[in-house]
Amino acid sequence: MLKLAIKDLKLMIHDRRAVILTLIVPIALISLFAFAFGGSGKSNDTNPISIFISDQDSTEVSRNVISKLDTLKSLDIKLLPLENAKEEVKKGSKVAVLALYKGFKDSVESGKNYPMELFYDQSRQIEAGLLQQVLFSNLMGIIGIKSIKGNIHKMIDEENPGLSKKELGEIYTKVDEQIAKFEKSDKNPDKSFMGMKATPMFSTPENNLGLVQAVAGVAIMMLLFSVTGMGSGMLTEKEEGTLKKLLYSPIRPSSILFGKMTSTIIVSIIQLTVMFLFAWLTFGLDIFIDVPSLIVMILSTAFACASFGIFIASIAKTRKQVESFSTLVILIMSAIGGSMVPIFIMPAIMQKIAVVSVNYWGIQGFYDIFWRHLPISDVMIRVAVLLGIGVFMMGISIKNFKKNILTIA
Amino acid sequence: MNTILEVSNLAKNYDNVQALKEISFSINENEFYGLLGPNGAGKTTTINIISTILQPDVGYVKINGFDLKKDPLNCKKMIGVIPQEIALYNELSAYENLLFWGGLYKLSANVLKTKIDETLNLMGLTKRKNDKIKTYSGGMKRRINIASALLHSPKILLMDEPTVGIDPQSRNLIFEVLEELHKEGMTIVYTTHYMEEAERLCDRIGIIDHGEIIAEGTLDELRNTTNANESIVIHFEVSINDKAELLKKSFGNIININENSITISSKNSGKELPQILTQINQMRLKVHQVEINKVNLETMFLNLTGRKLRD
Repeated sequence: MLKLAIKDLKLMIHDRRAVILTLIVPIALISLFAFAFGGSGKSNDTNPISIFISDQDSTEVSRNVISKLDTLKSLDIKLLPLENAKEEVKKGSKVAVLALYKGFKDSVESGKNYPMELFYDQSRQIEAGLLQQVLFSNLMGIIGIKSIKGNIHKMIDEENPGLSKKELGEIYTKVDEQIAKFEKSDKNPDKSFMGMKATPMFSTPENNLGLVQAVAGVAIMMLLFSVTGMGSGMLTEKEEGTLKKLLYSPIRPSSILFGKMTSTIIVSIIQLTVMFLFAWLTFGLDIFIDVPSLIVMILSTAFACASFGIFIASIAKTRKQVESFSTLVILIMSAIGGSMVPIFIMPAIMQKIAVVSVNYWGIQGFYDIFWRHLPISDVMIRVAVLLGIGVFMMGISIKNFKKNILTIA
Repeated sequence: MNTILEVSNLAKNYDNVQALKEISFSINENEFYGLLGPNGAGKTTTINIISTILQPDVGYVKINGFDLKKDPLNCKKMIGVIPQEIALYNELSAYENLLFWGGLYKLSANVLKTKIDETLNLMGLTKRKNDKIKTYSGGMKRRINIASALLHSPKILLMDEPTVGIDPQSRNLIFEVLEELHKEGMTIVYTTHYMEEAERLCDRIGIIDHGEIIAEGTLDELRNTTNANESIVIHFEVSINDKAELLKKSFGNIININENSITISSKNSGKELPQILTQINQMRLKVHQVEINKVNLETMFLNLTGRKLRD
C-alpha cells in the first residue's frame, strides 16, 4: 500500500501539469482574491477613497474644510468644477463629488444646515457608503459640533449679559454635556442636521446593478474559456494531421489562420448575444437601452476575447498545454478583471491592475451601456481599447502560429 | 515522354542529421514511380518537400515546368497528396469531408459534386457516403483519405505509404484503384517499404537509403545491376557466429550473414549450390535447410546496402 502511495506521489511530482493544478493555481487564486478583498491581513490598512470636491463657496471656511479633509488618509481629493466632476463620476473615474455650494461659510457661522451635496456613483454603493461615513464623522469634527457649540455659547453670552465668567463657564459645560449626549443618542436624526444631501448619479436605473455585473462578468469569463478551446482547434488539426493536409491545398497558410480566427470570432459573437438575450428573457435585463452601443461592445468584446483565446493557443505546443495554461490565465484574468468580484469593491491597487485584463474593459463597457447610460462616444473608449487588445494579441498569435504550428519539421 | 516532375540536388538537414543528401530524379508523365526504402531513409522528407510543406536547404523541384519555390500555389493545384496518416474530420460524414477538401480547390459546385460521386463509386463507398467517418473501419477511412486527394484531378498523385496498417481487402482495392488511375493517365509517386507493392505497381523504382538514391530503374534494370539472378539462403542447425569470418572468406558473394543463416547471390544456383554445400561440409557445419529465391527488390536492397528493407 505504501509503495503504491509513494509511486503515485512520484508520478504526481513528475507531472508538471498536476503540480500546477494542485498547488500553483490555488496559491495564485488565493493571493488574487486576498488582494481583491483588501489586503494583507493588517485590518487597519485602508485604501483611500477617491473623490472630487467642487468648492463653489470659495471662502476661507470652505477652503479650511477642504484642506482638513485632504489631510485624511482615508480620502484622495481632487478639486474640479461641479459639472466636470459629475461627468467624471459618471464615467467611473472617481466614486463621488462633494459640492460645497455658495453660502457654505454663512451657514457654518449661523449654525444652519450646510449647503453641500454628495453626488455618488450608485454602481459603487459600498465605496459610497464608506465615503459618507468618513465625511459625516470628519465634517462633524471639523465644523459641525464646533459650529453648534460656538453659536450656543454666543447666544448665551448675548441673552445673559450680567453673568460672571465662572457662571457662564458652568452653563457652557452643561450645554456641552447635553450636546455630547445628544450626539450619542438615538434622537440624533440621522445627523442630517448637518444638511448634507446624498444624491445617486443614476436616479432611475432601468437595470439591476447586480444583474449587469453577473451577466457581463460571467459571460466574458465563459467566453474566454470557450474561445480558448476553439483556438486550440489549430493544435487539434496539427495532432490529427488535417493541418498538414490543409497545407497541401492551394491556399495560403495565413488563410488557414484567418479562417480559424474568423470562426472563433463568429462563435464569440453568437455566444455573447445569446447570453444577453437569455438575461433579457429570463431576468429582465433591459438590453435595448442603447442597441448600437451594445452591438459595438459585443463585436469588440468578442474580437478581443477571441484574440486572447487564440493567443493562449498559439503559445502552446500541445492541446494539454493549452488546457492547463488557459485555466490558470483565465481564472487570474477573470479575478483581476472583475468577472468574479466587482471591481468597485477591490482596493485601489487592484483596480489599477485590472486594466490589463480583457474582462475589465468588457465589463466596464457593458456597465457604461446598461448602468451608466453613457453615450456611444464614451463607450467607444472601451471599444477602442478592446480592439487594440484584439489586434495586438492577433499579431502575436500569427507570429507564434507560424513559428510553432505551421512548421512541419 | 514529357518530364512532369523534376527533383534536382535536393538536400535537407534536421539539426545534425542529413535527411536528404542532394538527391535528384525525374518522373515522366503517366509514370508510376516508386520510392523504396526503409524507415528513416528520406522518403517522407522528399514527399513533404515536393508537396510544398517543407523547404529544402538546397536544390529545387519543378512540377510541369513550374518552380515549386517561385510558384507554390500553381504547383499545389497540380498535385494531390495522400499522407501516411488518415487526415479526415471524424465528426463529418464522408460526403461532407469530400465536399470540404474538394472545396479548397475552388471547383464549381456541380463539378465537385460529380467528382465526389465518381470518386466514392471508385472507392466502393457510395452506400456509406452519409455515415460519419468515425463509424468507418481503418481501410474505409484510408479509401476516403485517398478519395479526398483525387477530387481536383491532379496531374501528379503523391502517396506516402498509403497502405500502412490496413486489411488485405482494402489494400487490394486500393491497388486496383491506383492501377485504374494509372491506366487513365495519372502520374503517381508512391513511397513504400513493402517491396511487393513496388514490384506490383511501379514502372520505375528509386531505392533510397540514408538520404541517397542508391539505385534507380525499372525492375529489370535493377535486377541487372545486381549481377545475379537468384539468391541462395542456407539455414544451419546451430549458430555460425564463430565461423562467420571463414564463411565470408570462402564465399565472396555473401550478401548477408545472420545468427544461423547466410544469403549468397548466384547467377546459376543449379551449378553453384553443390560446390557451396561441399565447402560448408568441410567446415563441419550442419545444414538445416536451403532456399533458392529469384532476385527481388528485397534481395536487391540487401545486396546494395547489406541490410534488410525492414531493419
